[in-house]
Amino acid sequence: MPDDFQSRYPGYDVLAKATSPDWDEQTWQAVQDRITGNPSARFLTDAEVSTLEAIVDRILPQPDRTKDHKVPIVPWIDAKLFHDRRDGYRYDDIPRQRDAWRLAIQGFDQTARTLYERAFVELDSARQDEVLRRVESGDAPGEAWQSLSASRFFKSVLCVSVVKAYYSHPTAWSEIGYSGPSSPRGHVRIWIGGVDSWEPHERATRWDTE
Amino acid sequence: MTNRSRTSTRGEWTLSAPSINGGSVPMRDLSREEVDVCVVGAGASGSVVGAKLAEAGFSVVMLDAGPHWDPTRDFVSDEQSSYRLFWTDERITGGGDPVELGANNSGRGVGGSTVHYSMVAMRAHPEDFRRGTLDGPVSGADVRDWPITFEDLEPYYEEVEEALQIAGPTHYPWGRRRKRYPQREHELNAPARQLVYGCVKLGIPVAPAPIATLSAPHDGRPPCVYRGFCNYGCTTNAKSSALVTYIPRAIRAGAEVRPNAMVAHVESDSGNHVMGVTHFRGEGPELHLQRARCVVLAGYSIETPRLLLNSANSSFPNGLANSSGCVGKYFMVHSGNQAFAKFPDRIGQYKAPPPGGAISEHFNRTIPDAGFIGGYTIEIVGPHPCDFASRMTAARGMWGEQLRRTMLDYNYWSGLGIVGEVLAQESNAVSLAADEKDLHALPVAHVRFTFHQNDRKLIQHATAQMTRILEAAGGSETWTAERTAHLLGGCRMGNNRDDSVVNSDCRAHDVTNLFICDGSVFASSTAVNPSLTIQAIAARAADRIRDMAARSEL
Repeated sequence: MPDDFQSRYPGYDVLAKATSPDWDEQTWQAVQDRITGNPSARFLTDAEVSTLEAIVDRILPQPDRTKDHKVPIVPWIDAKLFHDRRDGYRYDDIPRQRDAWRLAIQGFDQTARTLYERAFVELDSARQDEVLRRVESGDAPGEAWQSLSASRFFKSVLCVSVVKAYYSHPTAWSEIGYSGPSSPRGHVRIWIGGVDSWEPHERATRWDTE
Repeated sequence: MTNRSRTSTRGEWTLSAPSINGGSVPMRDLSREEVDVCVVGAGASGSVVGAKLAEAGFSVVMLDAGPHWDPTRDFVSDEQSSYRLFWTDERITGGGDPVELGANNSGRGVGGSTVHYSMVAMRAHPEDFRRGTLDGPVSGADVRDWPITFEDLEPYYEEVEEALQIAGPTHYPWGRRRKRYPQREHELNAPARQLVYGCVKLGIPVAPAPIATLSAPHDGRPPCVYRGFCNYGCTTNAKSSALVTYIPRAIRAGAEVRPNAMVAHVESDSGNHVMGVTHFRGEGPELHLQRARCVVLAGYSIETPRLLLNSANSSFPNGLANSSGCVGKYFMVHSGNQAFAKFPDRIGQYKAPPPGGAISEHFNRTIPDAGFIGGYTIEIVGPHPCDFASRMTAARGMWGEQLRRTMLDYNYWSGLGIVGEVLAQESNAVSLAADEKDLHALPVAHVRFTFHQNDRKLIQHATAQMTRILEAAGGSETWTAERTAHLLGGCRMGNNRDDSVVNSDCRAHDVTNLFICDGSVFASSTAVNPSLTIQAIAARAADRIRDMAARSEL
């Protein structure tokens, strides 16, 4: 299973660049908060956190990592809700941000109970995926989905929030070979196949041995 | 207001504003004066009007709802930390095809959205201003001519291109013949080269994109180093945002740029005359009055209509300057659909900022027998990982292990996007939300948008062409994403006071000393990135205001 997520850039750690001319002070500060800060839930209840964690585990699975090494996702969703930091718009078929997340978490449980007579967290992953697919297609049983558009929430709010939390973490950057911050140095080899010495390489090149 | 009245209103140089190279610069305090001109919104258009009128000797205050950015300290090379640059107060979006707002098409703070825009600096075409004559009418849409022509704007396009030092190709193959761009073109990046390869194979003309980013030093600012974080704020000042071009000019000429000043109402003193604006400062509850002889709105297609609707009074119960009922209506976007393909060679999308981009305006015209009017421009895109993964999950419905596995090849994907014409429709509109208010208890905007059948046909044509180009360049596993870009209309200009909000001088039909000079005055959408046209309209409006003042018409 872990081989499924084999990076093209084994051993690459974007954080090794942190003291290079690619990371200015303000960027280091922003990213450092993301690595060290792993806030405990302040908005969602423990039960809501468990359900959301199970949902997030299916949207962005990390079976290749132990619990302590997983990129945290739910804490950042909770922090956004706690501070009620908005995105600048909401769809008129979805309630306000805080209400929408609460309702949706209830909705996943209601769908799970209607289909399988169990809470979402108690289902195996195949059944959890089936619940997710029903919500995604807007065909999910559950009272909560009467007050918010299930498919809109799934695609435009839930999945987008989850992937943004994951791919803003340096561990994910290293995994996909994203060179990350680049200020003030910038880039030189911007052509097809061009790779600067301060970018991730897929195999050792002369730059790495110099 | 006359050119001479201004000598009596002169604030002291007791304030300071962030300089563009760190430190600060002195600035006038005009808060206790009745100024000649109060500009609402210090973004793309407001900065141009403010700078030009201050340089012409008028006393000018520019208000912006957000902070005055210090580019050396406030901009972060990180996707998620950049939400502060966008309008994140609540807005409600609906209709058949709700528009994604926020980071997609808004700015908040001095410089507005030019702080994070993609800098593609294009002129509209002469035909764009004559849509009604050439292509109208179209059932269900409002296809019309502008009250101004390309020739009216041409000298102002040139003026703004010079001010921003646009870097572009020696020969630009589309549109009216033009003089050379002030700076040479940027080196093409990987997605641009793929666009060129694909177009050349198919016989589609293509060219380096004209870009508002320096390719050579200018005025103490360095050329671009291709950081790739253009959409999150430029830390080196190579980007010719309003923040580092027109705003410093305005302050030097004696304008006050007042940040964190959210305007609540435009205040009338008689039926057809305004006397200033009331605004909040920071999160404080007090309303402050800025008196002004002339008010210029430059808050873009959502906040400008919202402010007018929120400024309703006994003379204008349906919103200030809204006797036509058109405030907020004929709201448009551009279709901004994108296509991505995986390539055998490494691309590195994050190194694909707009400088280094390529462009094709081959389809920016009404194509005979295509079944739709208007056209579109094809450009490159280069999303960073959060943005790219978000598009994949939203467009392809991809999640789970498949998403994470596909993202492992992030560096091998390359993408294109369009700026496509969208027809104006009366029912696409900005209104006030019935029961939702912001932190100052002002009703927020409710935006409703649905594509016209013509728009959908255009999108279908464009996505097919983008896919063809990517495949001709050697890409595979192509997928497309629905998207919109930019905001336009909502206070359109026109000669008839019954079906437009401002006249060809950007002056409100109903209010003698009120002007609107932002993207909301567009009468049709055009099919190019709108910032240069918005700034050219603002530059022209500034000259008209100056001339009217000289003739004592204000």
